[in-house]
Amino acid sequence: MQRKKISKSDLGRWLDSVAEKYELVGPTKDEEVHLFGPVSSGAEMDLEYSNSLIPPKSLFFPQVEGLFAFHKRGKEIELEEAKPLEKDRVVVGIRNCDVRSLSLLDRVFLDDLEDSYYRERRDRTALIALACPTPPRSSCFCTTFGIDPLSPEGSDILLIDVGDLYLVDVVTERGQELVALGEGLFTTLTEAEEKELQPPPVDMPALDVGELKERLDALWEDGYWDKLSLPCLGCGICTYVCPTCHCFDISDVGSTSAGIRYRCWDSCMYGDFALMASGENARPSRRERMRNRYFHKFSTFPSRYGTGYACVGCARCLVHCPGGVEITEVIKDILGKEGVSDG
Amino acid sequence: MTDNIYLPSIATVKEVRPETPDTSTFVVTFDDPEVSDSFTYRPGQFAELSIFGVGECPIGIASSPTWKDCVEFCVRAVGTVTNAIHDLEAGDKLGVRGPLGNGWPTGEIEGKDLLFIGGGIGLPPLRSLIQYVLDNRERYGEVQIVYGARSPQDLVYKEELKQWEERSDVDLAVTVDVGDETWDGPVGFVPPFLREINPSPKNRVAFTCGPPIMIRLVVEALEEMGYAYADIVTTLEMKMKCGVGKCGRCNIGDKYICRDGPVFTFEELRRIPGALEA
Repeated sequence: MQRKKISKSDLGRWLDSVAEKYELVGPTKDEEVHLFGPVSSGAEMDLEYSNSLIPPKSLFFPQVEGLFAFHKRGKEIELEEAKPLEKDRVVVGIRNCDVRSLSLLDRVFLDDLEDSYYRERRDRTALIALACPTPPRSSCFCTTFGIDPLSPEGSDILLIDVGDLYLVDVVTERGQELVALGEGLFTTLTEAEEKELQPPPVDMPALDVGELKERLDALWEDGYWDKLSLPCLGCGICTYVCPTCHCFDISDVGSTSAGIRYRCWDSCMYGDFALMASGENARPSRRERMRNRYFHKFSTFPSRYGTGYACVGCARCLVHCPGGVEITEVIKDILGKEGVSDG
Repeated sequence: MTDNIYLPSIATVKEVRPETPDTSTFVVTFDDPEVSDSFTYRPGQFAELSIFGVGECPIGIASSPTWKDCVEFCVRAVGTVTNAIHDLEAGDKLGVRGPLGNGWPTGEIEGKDLLFIGGGIGLPPLRSLIQYVLDNRERYGEVQIVYGARSPQDLVYKEELKQWEERSDVDLAVTVDVGDETWDGPVGFVPPFLREINPSPKNRVAFTCGPPIMIRLVVEALEEMGYAYADIVTTLEMKMKCGVGKCGRCNIGDKYICRDGPVFTFEELRRIPGALEA
């Protein structure tokens, strides 16, 4: 890995030249929130932001996505696969929690039955991550899940804000190619700068979640789920803003003679999510659905895929839950202790 | 299967055979000969059937992989897609995506006596294995089939039941919950009927599929007869969409029924929290 620097005033120029070759994607301000979307220039992005409302998983696993079109001609049926991308992309400003979430989603979509739509988007997208020198929100808890907000892991380039300039950690070959597009804008750090220009330390409390799975597994029959599901409205916002949730529905739009088969995000918090045509429902009440969601995050996902927990501490769900269900409180309840230590 | 796991292959309905007032067998063949050749499957696997413009639903493959050139699905008209499938006639097209899931064990059970216990439309998934076993008859021991339905008209595969009845190497027992003027056979539910027959658990593996309540009582009966949970095999049903372990619907514990199932032994299910709460 190579460390360079670029002044903040030059960043836009660099990204403009990136945009000549790639589809540039970054966070933009939309009224009160930030969302990732295509931009035509670096100036359109707002990198002075906390995090996006909708996680950038949507760039790889879109909220709604056509899978193929069907046309009927006489009795014959023709299928035409959708093309996920026109152009290679560069995503700027993604936070490390969301970078980690992609590595978790990779386990689902890129297993031995590979999802070709997700695969193409992952392969053709470079990630320029933006370190969080201080927690972007007071509710953030990524360090609980072993995520270092300053780590270059999983990205092609990591930008670290140190005042008037960004430190630029060039991680991959693809990252080097992107930096090469900004010839003359990047400079190598002097020895003195190496020492001086350090990101401020991350100050974020971390919970000890080592025993979270074992403790949770013991709570399958516990009355806790009745209590926890009481304030839940079943709105599903926790799943829509979650960077690791991957549930989706597949449906057809159009007529039987022509139309599109598409998929869209779905939520395990919805009553009809596991409802069969026969009327049977595997998770008939919010109690079972809530329990299923936490088991998925902290027990069944890790045991199925051999990963860490399927939560990255982005805090989106707890910020947006209208019923005030806070995942950090749930974790503490499961652990059966207050257990906050300084990370 | 193409490298796009969501893209169905186009197939043509060759024959529609009504089984019961709401259930029919659809015999289909793939339009593309390459797909037809490469569509190899294990008994007990399933496929996602597509009616384009209506949707997809998972249906167990009811034929045996020993049968070439056609695949059979036995479909009850219950929901939107299954009703649309029932509108199909011979010559109509549909989409087939699969084969999916694990399927019944076939190698491990060689040399064993086999007991099949089916209820209603639970027979078709079992029939995939029954026909496979009958086509490889020398590899397996006794074949005993216990089948029941709500009424005589709700029995599926009536012709095949007659054939099995006539075979000396198949022991078939059929019951109905409620008889009618056409029925002079046993009347009663499957679980007590099974207890009466009382097949010995010695060197025998039991396969069961049917309504959840029947499965629960059948397993209770088998347990009392001395069957080990590892020798009771079932195939599960749950709401599915993708069929490839991604859409997050059909999990029990850390297993996806579409990927790790639909076939499980009760020994496996016993270890999964919530799996036996039917």
